[in-house]
Amino acid sequence: MTHRNFWLSCGQKLLVFLLSIFVLSAAVFYAARLSPGDPLVSYYGGRAEKMTPEERSRAEERLGLHDAVHVQYLRWLRDAAHGEFGVSYKYKTDVLKVIWGRFPNTLILGGASFALIFTLALGLGILCVWYEGRWLDRLICRAGTVVSCVPEFWLSLVLILVFSVWLRWLPSSGAYTVGREYDLSDRILHLLLPVTVATAGHLWYYAYMVRSRLLDELCAGYVLFAEAKGLAKRTVLFRHCLRNVLPSYLSMMAVSVPHILGGTYIIEAVFSYPGLGTLAYESARWKDYNLLMVLCLFTGIAVIFCGMLAQILNERIDPRIREALPPQERKENGHG
Amino acid sequence: MDKRFTIVGIRPAPLPAEPPKSRLRLPPLPAVVLAIIVLGCLCCDFFLPKDPAYLDLYHANTAPNAEFWFGTDTMGRDIFSMIWHGGRLSLLIGFLSTFISTAIAVLFGTAGGIAPGWLDKLLTRVAEVFLSVPSLLLVIFLQAILGHAGVLSLSIAIGVTGWMGIAKVVRTEVRRLRESEFILAARCMGGGFFHNLWVHFLPNIFPSILFMVVMNIRGAIAAESTLSFLGLGLPLEIISWGSMLSLAERGLLSGAWWMVLIPGAFLVITLLCITELGEQLRQTADRQ
Repeated sequence: MTHRNFWLSCGQKLLVFLLSIFVLSAAVFYAARLSPGDPLVSYYGGRAEKMTPEERSRAEERLGLHDAVHVQYLRWLRDAAHGEFGVSYKYKTDVLKVIWGRFPNTLILGGASFALIFTLALGLGILCVWYEGRWLDRLICRAGTVVSCVPEFWLSLVLILVFSVWLRWLPSSGAYTVGREYDLSDRILHLLLPVTVATAGHLWYYAYMVRSRLLDELCAGYVLFAEAKGLAKRTVLFRHCLRNVLPSYLSMMAVSVPHILGGTYIIEAVFSYPGLGTLAYESARWKDYNLLMVLCLFTGIAVIFCGMLAQILNERIDPRIREALPPQERKENGHG
Repeated sequence: MDKRFTIVGIRPAPLPAEPPKSRLRLPPLPAVVLAIIVLGCLCCDFFLPKDPAYLDLYHANTAPNAEFWFGTDTMGRDIFSMIWHGGRLSLLIGFLSTFISTAIAVLFGTAGGIAPGWLDKLLTRVAEVFLSVPSLLLVIFLQAILGHAGVLSLSIAIGVTGWMGIAKVVRTEVRRLRESEFILAARCMGGGFFHNLWVHFLPNIFPSILFMVVMNIRGAIAAESTLSFLGLGLPLEIISWGSMLSLAERGLLSGAWWMVLIPGAFLVITLLCITELGEQLRQTADRQ
């Protein structure tokens, strides 16, 4: 790939990126406005019900809800270009401030689960291949099937029941005990259960993926050759096969970021963990338009960015893909 | 063969005698359990000891005993009756939304498979975009925007967000098939899109998507329970496994384990049986 081509493809990607963000924001904007629901309730709480029609219309005027939807959208777009995303109706402060308050919590939860999932999945996958067909392999696969059938929210409930209600070892909700915000050990205690659930929910899928990729790799001709040369099984597996599997694993990791972040959402809801997930839920529920828009954009950017990252990673590591078409047959997931 | 000579240097082919054994051995248990659950839910009117919707406030929060086999919930309803009664809606939503997503997937995938390159590319992109957003998150947004849900709107929301995986397989299969002679013949004789889809493509595609369709049922049932649990699906008075579990969170901290464990166990066992069946289907499909 020449230098000029590189910049060209970067520009192309940027263009696609901006275009997708634009389409996404328009779609969310229209969907949110046209759906039934009263944004005034989120701003004024129960008082909105008792307002006289004049008061209502004045309040709507003030929040800019009076104009046609496309006028509202253009105004939002103009403000967004200036870096102003408006005020959250519910929290009555700047939207970005609300999000920044919650973001670190989600990042910690998601990041910890992410790291755990991918190290453990790699380990389990290798373990399965090492003991292929024997009881350990079968046990791990079996456990994976069973756990993948347990809905995350129920697993959370059971863990809360066992560890918080019966044993009283771990707290059942929140990110920290009130008044001990900066106590690290307290935070970790609060994280244990959510991270366990998040990890258990996703781990098996990826472990299974590693297993089947590695097994495919073991059927390749060069493995037979290496074995014929007298290389140890360990050397073949780690030095040769794993190396060929890792690029696709890395790109899978990049693609899965939004899936794992999206998965923490339910967990946040069950454990009343103050993260972005609960915020997104509230904003959609209570028609907090400005907040909803920013959260959607945030998610969208993360999704698109990770997709591109995966593609770039693939191209960097595996020269075969760089020449060919962009990878499309990467992930397959039903109800993530 | 002559006994005096043995062939050396050729690895004997692995015996193909293995598969039939597993086919005979494994399916009964999950199939039987699933059949019991489905039949029990469908025919529950004949054997239920109590009215599942009756609020027996005097006996609220009772642990399992001789009268209430699985205990009662915080509103005093009999959990044993609710499980069978609520299973109907959970299963119905599972089937209904799978039907919707399969229909969308087949249409979308076939269109993508037949269409000229640029349209195919566009459709693939659209599916890709849907796929990259966690579908449960999508349903949650859809539900949150739609407001309170009934059985039908919930099924639609789940169905509309769960078709991408199947569509991908359908597209690949159609691509493979579309050059074959019988399709060409059908087109020459003027068979339209829907005729070809129904008569020629579908019977050929179906075996390969069957596994995913079954898995889709599983996903849809899980999605229903999750949504109802979060308060975005069915409300408490419409009994399903999900709405039962959403009540369980309130009973949780008082240690009412029966509200959490029993309906959840039913849910998980059902999902597990469906998975097992799906695996069986895939293995038989692979073998053929």
